[in-house]
Amino acid sequence: MKALLLLLLMAIPAHAATFYITVAGLGGEPDYEQRFTATARDLDKLYKATPGAQVITLTGKDSTRAKLTDALASVARDAKPEDDLVLTLIGHGSFDNIEYKFNLVGPDISAAELAQLLDRIPARRQLVVNTTSCSGGSIAALERPGRAVITATKTGTEKNATVFARYWTEGLQDPTTDLDKSEAISAMEALRYADQKTAAFYTEQKRLATEHPVFEDTGHGEAIKVADAKGKEGELLNTFTVLRIGEAQAAMNDPAKRDLLTKKEELEQKIDALKYQKAAMDAADYKKQLTDALLELAKVQEALEQ
Amino acid sequence: MKPHLLVLTLALLTGTSLAATTPESCRDLRRHGHRNEATSCFTTLSQSNDAYLRAEGLWGLKQYDAANEAFRQAATHDAKPIVRVRWGLLLHDRFNNKEAVDLFNEALQQDPNNAQAYLGLATVSADGFDSHAEEYAHKAAELDPKSPEPHELLANIALANAKNDDALAEADKALALSSDALDAMAIHAAVDTLNDRTAAADIWFAKIRAINPNYGEGYALVAYHMVLNRRYPDGVAFYRKAIAADPELWPAHSQLGINLMRLGEEEEPMRELELAYNNGQRDAATVNSLRLLDSYKNFITIRDDVSILRLRKNEADLLRPYFQPELHKILTTYTAKYGLSLMQPVQVEVYPDHEDFAVRTLGMPGLGALGVTFGQVLAMDSPSGRKPGEFNWGSTLWHEMDHVYVLTITQYRVPRWFAEGIAVHEEGQASPEWSNRATPEILLAYRAKKLLPVADMDQGFIYPKYSDQVLVSYFEAGQMCDYIQERWGAPKLVSMVHSFAARKTTPEVIRTDLGIEPAVFDKDFMAWLDKRIGAQSKNFDTWRTQLKALDEAAKNKQNDVVLKAGPEVIHLYPEYIGDASAYELLAAAQVATNDKPGAMATLTAYEKIGGQDPNTLNKLASLEEELNHPTEAAATLDRINYIYPELDGLHAHLGHLWLAQGNATGAIREFTAVLAMNPLDKATAQYDLAQAYMAAGQRDKAEESVLAALEAAPTFRPAQKLLVQLKAADTTPK
Repeated sequence: MKALLLLLLMAIPAHAATFYITVAGLGGEPDYEQRFTATARDLDKLYKATPGAQVITLTGKDSTRAKLTDALASVARDAKPEDDLVLTLIGHGSFDNIEYKFNLVGPDISAAELAQLLDRIPARRQLVVNTTSCSGGSIAALERPGRAVITATKTGTEKNATVFARYWTEGLQDPTTDLDKSEAISAMEALRYADQKTAAFYTEQKRLATEHPVFEDTGHGEAIKVADAKGKEGELLNTFTVLRIGEAQAAMNDPAKRDLLTKKEELEQKIDALKYQKAAMDAADYKKQLTDALLELAKVQEALEQ
Repeated sequence: MKPHLLVLTLALLTGTSLAATTPESCRDLRRHGHRNEATSCFTTLSQSNDAYLRAEGLWGLKQYDAANEAFRQAATHDAKPIVRVRWGLLLHDRFNNKEAVDLFNEALQQDPNNAQAYLGLATVSADGFDSHAEEYAHKAAELDPKSPEPHELLANIALANAKNDDALAEADKALALSSDALDAMAIHAAVDTLNDRTAAADIWFAKIRAINPNYGEGYALVAYHMVLNRRYPDGVAFYRKAIAADPELWPAHSQLGINLMRLGEEEEPMRELELAYNNGQRDAATVNSLRLLDSYKNFITIRDDVSILRLRKNEADLLRPYFQPELHKILTTYTAKYGLSLMQPVQVEVYPDHEDFAVRTLGMPGLGALGVTFGQVLAMDSPSGRKPGEFNWGSTLWHEMDHVYVLTITQYRVPRWFAEGIAVHEEGQASPEWSNRATPEILLAYRAKKLLPVADMDQGFIYPKYSDQVLVSYFEAGQMCDYIQERWGAPKLVSMVHSFAARKTTPEVIRTDLGIEPAVFDKDFMAWLDKRIGAQSKNFDTWRTQLKALDEAAKNKQNDVVLKAGPEVIHLYPEYIGDASAYELLAAAQVATNDKPGAMATLTAYEKIGGQDPNTLNKLASLEEELNHPTEAAATLDRINYIYPELDGLHAHLGHLWLAQGNATGAIREFTAVLAMNPLDKATAQYDLAQAYMAAGQRDKAEESVLAALEAAPTFRPAQKLLVQLKAADTTPK
């Protein structure tokens, strides 16, 4: 994951930006209204702290179809192909076995209409995190090459209110979500966190789970659970940085450190290759080679920190 | 043999079909061991044009589905009540008690004085240890004074309730009505066997064999009472005898399998249960026991010299470091206390799925809610099998392990009240927070004067007379043991165990060991208990009203009201630590008004009195840490380990606290637990563990862990630094 991420960072010019649109939909009841708005505000705070972030957050009476359409249109105007887009939908959804709709103040918006608006945005890499009830029903309309879709429910028929958004947000707030300690939280890392916490919520409450998060990031086919990812599935999520939490960005922007970054990348690739060969290697030899590579990598990172 | 039976037998032997063949005569033939003749008799009935007779014949031939259908046809609007009664008994026989009860009630609507319908209701109720069983059986006896069967059932119920004299009296009534009342004879044999009067029991068995050499049900009845009295090896022996007498007695095969499982066997139970199942014994106990045996492939067994621990694979790594040392600690404590070294390792089975655990207690009386002991095998829920806070595996393990010792010393001959009482008492000895508390149900029972005298305590466990009686009886028995220890000293409890082992009755033990009459014991105990819970009991109604108001105030965020009223509500009933306890409400208000020391004191009181909601204790630990009491914070978190070791963040938090306090061994256990929970962030977990190993001076293991951390996250700087430190030390000249 690390090597892939780094390759991507190297490939993207330093000025690439990430556009974040977060919408807290219609709550219907004060409790939900409060919960959805609070979650959206937490995300807003996180995203705004990210360098180069362009953040639009819609809550309360602003969560209308018109304002969401305007927000997507503005990103369509400003974004470049090398930019990233993260759209997060929080709230209730509905599904009538044909069409998914995200519940907004006033008229709702369907998944097909959202897809049309997203298609106009030039950013080649897009992430849609639909945390609503019935969100599984939105996948078919939203999926497209270059666009990863994460939903709180596996189908449109899981209609109960979800807790996924809470844990998605919590994951982005928790540095331990950065499993590979790359100082960036990828969409896959955030999904793993939210997926595990959501499952634990139902287990701990001794309740039958009424949401089963899935994703689709190849642009075609069925959505799958995190644990079932194989082949190309999960590749886009692995390389899609949702949030930077350290100084990796600063180092990347410093031309003086480019050589060290290249060296770092080589060492990481070497370690990845070693891990791949582990099963076929003598254990002591593996340990020695791994230790040597890790010590060398430690020196490079120390130099990067200077 | 009765004359009419002889005539019928001769007729059947000569192939004569009798128009007068009746279900009763066929059943009499079977009851007297004339199997072939009974089969011919039932065959004749099965060919009848009368649907009811056909149903009886088919049932006798064990063609249950066809019999059921025939009963359905027979149960027309104007059918006699006997049709519904017998149909109900068929359904009861085929494990469908619910519909059986419906049919008995329908029969009673047709004939409110139908004795057999009452007997049917009594039989089903007795199956579920329902106290109505006795009432129904008495009604049946009253309505049909010539029938021995209600008396046999009443004898069975009385014996289950440890009322041996009543059991014998009822059995004798049955025998007076019918000299070949086989179950009444079996009750006599059971009483003699329970009292170790083998020769006397053998006489009764000989009488049974003389009437019907194949009457395995007699041995099975004795086996049932052995099991009820926790004498599992004896139960197994009698189920074997039942099967020897009647190899086709499938319920006995099933029970043999189930009770062999309780003794830790697997292969023979599987054979017996499959045999029973394949021959139509498909009751819940058989089916679920087979499922449980099948699920054992998902468990691992950890053995050492003194213990066998069976844990489900997916939680074994987490639980083993807690369960195994605790088990060893218990063994050491009880070995010293009772002066007994167990001859074989004790087997502890821990079930994360409560249904799997429940299979182990199917058909048994009592709470059976948390753990159960079968001699040297004990089964219990895993903490993950319960809602957090509902269950303390530590106190349960101490409780059940006490049974192991007491049952071993007494050779299973100990009254239930004392076995449970001393086990409850030992929970509190192991940790004061685990002492039994007076819950609202107990206070209400106390106030209503429902507690039992010591001599009758056993009757509070098997057929409860009111809904919470078993719970109340556990509490009362535990309190009696607390009282005995307080007044006579701890060794007296051990001497009582030995007195029970010597086959003394409860009144005898009270007289000889405590030196007072049972009635005096009751009077003194109640005075002692009144000091302990009397005030709380008197305050109960006021407390309930005030707690409700306090809860309302808390919901409305009226912190000033909660702060003022909270202490008084706690004072009225300090032992209440259930939902919406005043401790939690008051502490929340104290935190909200920034009185953190006050909140810490409130939650400490909650903890000391036995509060075990893991999230509340976690809050206490946070307050303790924040207010610079790290040792107390660690102790609080360690208590949660006994309640809900799956609590998110628990082990990492405790590990860091202990590491900072220099408890490297504790930190290693906690960080190992983090890894056992298969965290997403394995790199941090391995790094933390590496640090703990470093602190413990185990550099090799530290290196192993730090490499594992970096293998997961090669750019993890703190781990890199630790690896560099380790390697630098390796190359530094010594």
